[in-house]
Amino acid sequence: MNRRVSIKYALGLGLMGIFSFSTFEWRRLHKTIDLKSLQKSKTLISELAETIIPETDTPGAARAGVSTYIINILSNCSSVVEQNRFLNGLQEVESYALTAYDNSFIDCSANERIEILNFFKSKDEYIIPFMNRVHKKVFGPPFFTSLKRMTVEGYCMSELGATQGLAFNFVPGRYNGCTVLQRNQKAWATK
Amino acid sequence: MQNSENTSNFYDAIVIGSGISGGWAAMELCKKGLKTLLLERGRDVKHIIDYPTANLKPWEFKNGLNNTLQDQLEDPVQSIAYNPAIKHFYASDKAQPYIQEKPFNWFRGYQVGGKSLTWGRQCYRLSDLDFEANKNDGYGVDWPIRYRDLEFWYDYVESFVGVSGERKNLSHLPDGNFLPAMELNCVEKHLGSSIKKEGKTLTIARVANLTKGWDNRGPCLYRNLCNRGCPYGGYFSSNSSTIPVAEATGNLTLRPFSVVAEILYNDKTEKASGVRVIDAQTNENFIFESKIIFVNASTISTTSILLNSKSKRFPNGLGNDCGELGHNLMDHHSSAGAFGTFNGFKDKYYEGRRPCGFLIPRYRNLKAQSEFDFIRGYNIQGDGERQEWEDKKNNEGFGVDFKSNLVTPGPWTVWMAGWGECLPYHDNKISLDEHAKDQWGLPQVRIDFSFRENEERMMKDIQDTCKEMLINAGFEEVNSFNYQKPGGSTIHEMGTARMGNDPNTSILNKHNQIHSVKNVFVTDGSCMSSSACQNPSLTYMALTARACDFAVQQLKDGNL
Repeated sequence: MNRRVSIKYALGLGLMGIFSFSTFEWRRLHKTIDLKSLQKSKTLISELAETIIPETDTPGAARAGVSTYIINILSNCSSVVEQNRFLNGLQEVESYALTAYDNSFIDCSANERIEILNFFKSKDEYIIPFMNRVHKKVFGPPFFTSLKRMTVEGYCMSELGATQGLAFNFVPGRYNGCTVLQRNQKAWATK
Repeated sequence: MQNSENTSNFYDAIVIGSGISGGWAAMELCKKGLKTLLLERGRDVKHIIDYPTANLKPWEFKNGLNNTLQDQLEDPVQSIAYNPAIKHFYASDKAQPYIQEKPFNWFRGYQVGGKSLTWGRQCYRLSDLDFEANKNDGYGVDWPIRYRDLEFWYDYVESFVGVSGERKNLSHLPDGNFLPAMELNCVEKHLGSSIKKEGKTLTIARVANLTKGWDNRGPCLYRNLCNRGCPYGGYFSSNSSTIPVAEATGNLTLRPFSVVAEILYNDKTEKASGVRVIDAQTNENFIFESKIIFVNASTISTTSILLNSKSKRFPNGLGNDCGELGHNLMDHHSSAGAFGTFNGFKDKYYEGRRPCGFLIPRYRNLKAQSEFDFIRGYNIQGDGERQEWEDKKNNEGFGVDFKSNLVTPGPWTVWMAGWGECLPYHDNKISLDEHAKDQWGLPQVRIDFSFRENEERMMKDIQDTCKEMLINAGFEEVNSFNYQKPGGSTIHEMGTARMGNDPNTSILNKHNQIHSVKNVFVTDGSCMSSSACQNPSLTYMALTARACDFAVQQLKDGNL
């Protein structure tokens, strides 16, 4: 999909999100979700997270088990609106991938995945400035924003993320306020 | 009233509440040979044994440090302060409700140790600038004590608590008996040398974290997980420090699950005879009697017990002849401040997690006469650090570059805010709601509190001076803020049973003794005549030790 079409599509979905606040929309976001459907999407969630924090010389989000974290947060700590918003986001990712690349997201190439997430990122960036306080409360954070937040948290607090992606020292035993930063030294995993 | 068989339990002393001041009262009274009953409304928490999360790694929390939706709904206030790592040290709003006339965050730790498990551990002495403030500007009533009355007791409690810090020789923030200070980091030292030119001081926070082993506790191992309970005893809590010493005397009886309904008054002796306790698990009523009673249930709970202790002599609550009981509620405000980033020290970092930040002692209104459009003052608390993943969540983009940036130390930043004095306003108050009852049939507490114009003006000044200090020190992207947090958010609630010289305007005398009921002492935050701007726990501890010494002397002299 070329850039212009992509932007138009983003605008369209974005505007729909903002202006189509109707009873239908309200009900769509308040319906009780089937938590099993999250489990069914585990691979998709994992691959989306991996696109945000990919494997490099250190583990990526998939190997760090971030999808489990995201499913836990959605199941235990999120409102029905946030749950629906995320599930709808997953569906939109799939239908966008099919429309634009004739493939399901997990069958798309690495570059295509990046393009897809870039599309959802720009969609959020378009919506967010228009979201007022009430809107944020009623609709929760948009899809890409919440996916990214959960991915970062899940990764940095995972065992692989904290100990290999970052630097983890559970019992430092001392405080040194001014050390020399070594080349390629990782940031601490915990404050 | 239903009485159980063991209603004739008699002790030398009863202490209500096992938090930071109650633990002190129990220890001092036990050490002086009094058979002491320590009552705690919540469950027991044994040092180390009952710190279930102390050694959990970040990935061992199923939902990270996010509260479940159910917790957020059931504990709308407590869940602001707790997370899954410390939830078990907070009361449940659902199980133990209270009424907010205006938004007021009443954070409660209903267990042995109370909030001493989760406190911020900052230890600052008050000075005569504070003890004379009410007298000088006419707000509230004059403190019946001065710094000279408390100096010895500050020394006394600090030498047991173990407070690390740096001597600064400031008359308005007296030095203490400090353990070696923790270190400031590069950016904090830089800010300190910059504000020094403006006549201000920056020093490491004075905290009850042990920089060396102390009395078989500690030292601190720099994990910065204090509020889960420290398996090394690296900081002061009732659980790690005062209660074990009290127990070792053989004089202590600790009774958890004991909700004190009222203090009983004897018309003949004109003294309190004991307390009525409701067992939180069985709902049985018990009466315990004693020669003296220390009330240390935490500010709002202490006063609600006194208000609920009605008798023919005291129809409006124990010791409430003047009508001030419940009034003059205070809390520090800590909403205003500034943050900025510093473009330097790029090759520097730190190692270990220091469990405290820095302090910029009060620099406003150091003379009795105010020089600004507000009276009293504030201190600044903050910390310097390099940006880490939690600060970089919202960085642009995703993918390889995003990840690489996420795991690399970012620029140095400083966040700092003003902890400000709140004036004692008569109509900032708590009362009991006779219609809304809790699960034990006791009236719920109704809290009516707001910050006023003086606090608002002070917050504006905090924003301006914090911003100015950072800009002058060469910080970039400097932004000031005012979070507008509701009362209670600093968890420094004070007042409601204030000390004073005059029984017509105060509840307690200069010994923390109820003017009209000489064998009842109140030494938690409720006794405070003014709030000053210093974190108050150290003062509660010093007042408690002092009052215990007085009470025992009075007992010996046959006056009680």
